[in-house]
Amino acid sequence: MKVLVCVDDTDNMESPGTGHLASTMAEAVDRFGWGQSFPVTRHQLFVHADIPYTSHNSSMCFGAEIVEHHLGSLIDYASDYLARESAAGSDPGLCVACTDRIGEPEKLIRFGQRAKSEILTMDEAYGLAQALGIHLSEHGGTGQGVIGALAGAGLRLSGNDGRLKGKLKIRCENNTATVGEILAQTVVDMVCSLDGTVLREDEPIYVADWVKAVLKDGKYILPVFYSDGTYSRGINWRACTKQQLRDF
Amino acid sequence: MDALMIINQSGERQFTGKKDDWDAAVKLAENCQEFAEDVEEELVADQLRSCYNCRFRRWTSASFICRK
Repeated sequence: MKVLVCVDDTDNMESPGTGHLASTMAEAVDRFGWGQSFPVTRHQLFVHADIPYTSHNSSMCFGAEIVEHHLGSLIDYASDYLARESAAGSDPGLCVACTDRIGEPEKLIRFGQRAKSEILTMDEAYGLAQALGIHLSEHGGTGQGVIGALAGAGLRLSGNDGRLKGKLKIRCENNTATVGEILAQTVVDMVCSLDGTVLREDEPIYVADWVKAVLKDGKYILPVFYSDGTYSRGINWRACTKQQLRDF
Repeated sequence: MDALMIINQSGERQFTGKKDDWDAAVKLAENCQEFAEDVEEELVADQLRSCYNCRFRRWTSASFICRK
């Protein structure tokens, strides 16, 4: 069965980030033999003075394909892990959504989209989770993280939000790899320009030390931009920089 | 007080460069003893030592506040 696991509000200024906890949970899925995990994505939520958040108000989500009878073990593990590892003063929330079983996935997606521009409540989050049969739980503090956890799952489900946690590791010479090499070595499904043009597999791409994919149309996309090649050894297509990907 | 920071109505140190003054955010961080790089997934500025990449910044709707 396909699940989305999303966590929010687990950190403080000094602690490891929420992404670290999500990555550890994803690794546990594989390590314990419950199934196969997929990359962690970061989802930006509403930044507003009336919303309590540590520094950026983002939630972290990963997908997994698990054996159905391990679902309870995954939820128990994630709950215990969050309660144990979340930072002092945080308000952690956990969402585990079995995406094949959600009758009205558009409601979950809509909740996620609203959380990018509206102030939502814990009551709304719990109400929707119950209606859709989604696990949603709080593990310390005020439990406010349940809002972001549910929203992050919705945004991941939308397939059109967020950037992947971590840098892509690409073996290449002179910081240059073809699209085909990138596809073969990473989780990336397509290499696309910022206007959506899909690049051919023989196209060379200049990749510096920070190469990151985003989630778009349900695929892992490596966004690139066209340059005159001055700073990229004459290679015209370059992987997008942090600044270019800030709003993903 | 650095001209790139003001005290806002809540008494917090707020960056005057909003969210797109990349050079000013670098300049501030270069002279800051408290700078600490945030986790990888929250980095947004290409130049690593930038207030935009600092774990002590808290984003607001228009800019960020510094909590150091």
